[in-house]
Amino acid sequence: MITRTVPSAIGFSVPASPGRAVTRLAVRQLRRSGLIVLVLVAALPALVASTYTSVMADPAAAGSIAALAANPAIRTLFGEPIALDQAGGFTVWRLGTFLAVLLAAWAILATTRITRGEEDAGRWDVLLAGRAPLREVVARHLAAVVIVPAAAGVAVAVVLLLAGTDTAGAAVHGAGVGVLGLFFVAVAGLAAQVFPTRAAATGTAVAVLGTALLMRMVGDGLTGLGWLRWLSPFGLLALSEPYARNRILPLLVLLAAAVLLAVIAVVAAGRRDVRGGLIAVVAGRRPRLMLLSGVGAFAVRRMLRPLTGWAVGIGAYYLLIGFTTVSVTEFLADNPALAEEAARAGFTALGAVEGFAATLFALLALPVGGFAAVRVSALVAAENSRNLTLLTAQPVTRIRLLAAEIAATAGGAIALVSVAGFAVWAGITATGGDLSWLAALGGAWNTLPVVLLSLGAAILAAGWAPRAAAFAGSLPATGGFLLLVIADSVGAPAGVRELSPFAHLAPVPLTAVDWTSTLIMATLGVALCVAGVMGYQRRDLQG
Amino acid sequence: MNDLALRAINLTKRYGRITALDDLCLEVPAGEVFGFLGPNGAGKSTTIRLLLGQVRPTAGRAWVFDSDAADVARAHRSLAYVPADVALWPQLTGAEILHLQACTGPGVDLAYRDELVQRFTLDTSKPARAYSTGNRQKVALVAAFATRAPLLVLDEPTSGLDPLMEREFRLAVAEARDRGQTVFLSSHQLAEVEAICDRVAILRAGRLVEIATIEQLRGLHRAEVTVSYIGVPPPGLDLVPGVETVEQVSPGRLRFSLIGPPAPALRALAAAEVTALAIREPNLEEIFLDYYGAAESTR
Repeated sequence: MITRTVPSAIGFSVPASPGRAVTRLAVRQLRRSGLIVLVLVAALPALVASTYTSVMADPAAAGSIAALAANPAIRTLFGEPIALDQAGGFTVWRLGTFLAVLLAAWAILATTRITRGEEDAGRWDVLLAGRAPLREVVARHLAAVVIVPAAAGVAVAVVLLLAGTDTAGAAVHGAGVGVLGLFFVAVAGLAAQVFPTRAAATGTAVAVLGTALLMRMVGDGLTGLGWLRWLSPFGLLALSEPYARNRILPLLVLLAAAVLLAVIAVVAAGRRDVRGGLIAVVAGRRPRLMLLSGVGAFAVRRMLRPLTGWAVGIGAYYLLIGFTTVSVTEFLADNPALAEEAARAGFTALGAVEGFAATLFALLALPVGGFAAVRVSALVAAENSRNLTLLTAQPVTRIRLLAAEIAATAGGAIALVSVAGFAVWAGITATGGDLSWLAALGGAWNTLPVVLLSLGAAILAAGWAPRAAAFAGSLPATGGFLLLVIADSVGAPAGVRELSPFAHLAPVPLTAVDWTSTLIMATLGVALCVAGVMGYQRRDLQG
Repeated sequence: MNDLALRAINLTKRYGRITALDDLCLEVPAGEVFGFLGPNGAGKSTTIRLLLGQVRPTAGRAWVFDSDAADVARAHRSLAYVPADVALWPQLTGAEILHLQACTGPGVDLAYRDELVQRFTLDTSKPARAYSTGNRQKVALVAAFATRAPLLVLDEPTSGLDPLMEREFRLAVAEARDRGQTVFLSSHQLAEVEAICDRVAILRAGRLVEIATIEQLRGLHRAEVTVSYIGVPPPGLDLVPGVETVEQVSPGRLRFSLIGPPAPALRALAAAEVTALAIREPNLEEIFLDYYGAAESTR
């Protein structure tokens, strides 16, 4: 294809393959976050598998496994427990869904960021004026993202093998994790061809992830709807039954679906306009002047749409938890051996509705803290892309600009937490359980100090190191949670464990709020915000 | 109100070892249309961002009328700004952005804004995502001109406009001047600056190299004089102060360049039988190249 007739004057070079440069560009944009995900995906199973013997040494616990698998609520929340009598099976049950969701979420965010995000920002205009056509550029970017799930699958399999688990099981689970990541790269890649904006593409792909997870949960919980699992990537992953039946067929189905979607995405890329999607942008509309009257109102307006998405996701998950609470707690109350095991693993009083709700409310700080981090990093992104420039030239101080964002985000976080509280209350009440809505809200609101810490850390970064806003904002909640889990697993000294904000959360509504630690965390969160605002006031605006 | 719209004293901005703006001293009287010229990367936008308080100076200070430029809540009550590369919230339509700017800005003349939307033929129902560079610029221009802010800071505002829109732009600047608004116009379009500005500052590599009225600038620079004559050439012309590079274009025709007042050269020419005399004033481009070229060669 390349003609070599170009005069080879000095300083005039025609690279043989422009495509390789495109691949290098894609890989560059992925390597940091990709490496972090790889390390997590490889390290966590190693940790869990190596601590298996100490957890499952008690024969009484092993005897309850059959009972555990029979309970629909347990299956709904944590997946069908199979092969818990082996380190491999236990690791898959304990971590499989978490790792799959982590990898899927990364795959979606990374794919839409480097494809539609780059195109939307106009950076592909120059790239596509080069010799590589749109179809090839999209294909090469998707291929670059796929490296990470593929490597993650291999890493999981190798780690499980090294931990001494069964070869076939390790291979099936590793393959499942890898193919699942591949599937979500394809989903996000297709969404990025269909929608002309990054937000719409990401939102759609995340909605697919949420629906798939929900289908797996329902299919696991209700035997009559078990077939639903064949329609969900997470369900197919469960159906492969690593360390038990080691089935290949579900994984082949998932792989076929992923390849099909990827092919459609690449074909679609060749049939659309650059900067356009298969769905056209509305050419014009009547002005909607609501919430444009000032900086504060505008901060709320920009938040409303993403907030709705977060609320739907969090609400659906906690409603499901509400529905299953009564069944799970009754089951655990009837199986003291298992409850004891759970207590030893750090989950106390799971046999009571309040205890179970408190344990799951603590997890609420993860998504809501993530919401706060994402909102602050969206403001930083608006500054970088110069969308904020016109506002900063108005008679508006930077303190007011940032304070409006902090207030809107805090309000959004309170709304999300309340949605979760009400959803749990509604679910428990509908299934005949007994939990007052005040107690449910109390449990949900109890996590707000951790959310405030996340918001504070993100704001601090926005003021002093704006590029790190998203990372800093995810440290208190996600980082703190991982720290606690790891510290508990390896039996780290108390000092390390205490660094996690989760170590200081009282199990509300099982017990009363620990006001001392709540106040300390809240004060720290506010102090971080103030320090961040001071930095924001002093620094140069970017863009 | 202060009769200086903008004032900068020793304004300096360094990014690490790079000096983006070096010791700028500048005064723009109220009511003036002030041109701010310079090649790409000269520090024009940095200066404007310093004046707007978006970037903090390494040294020096700046004022907008009576307010410190860093006190944006006060200073920005008397200015409106059009950035060089206009980025708008992609999800908002033109009308919504104009509304947001009006609600957060220093006050707006709604009737004049509607008139400007018509004159710039701006479709405000489109979401900003669908706007071209020129249309994004129009949104920012309409928002700025519609304010009654006493100072308009415009950073290369016509780079994306077509000639018809550029004419509208010049008209709007003239109207602003008639209302007594001060205009600070950064540009590298010399014709534009020449057509609408009273005074010009020339910036090069972060340093102010000249600040003068357009007439003064012309006076400081060489005019090209062509003389036709019959018989003997005017004697001793190359000894006259201000006259340089005398060259014989053809028999009976001389050309020389002239700096400063022309009287001594005219007296010398009187000695010859001059049949035609043409004096061509330098245009801004030549002046600009003079500064730029000279500075380039001393590097």
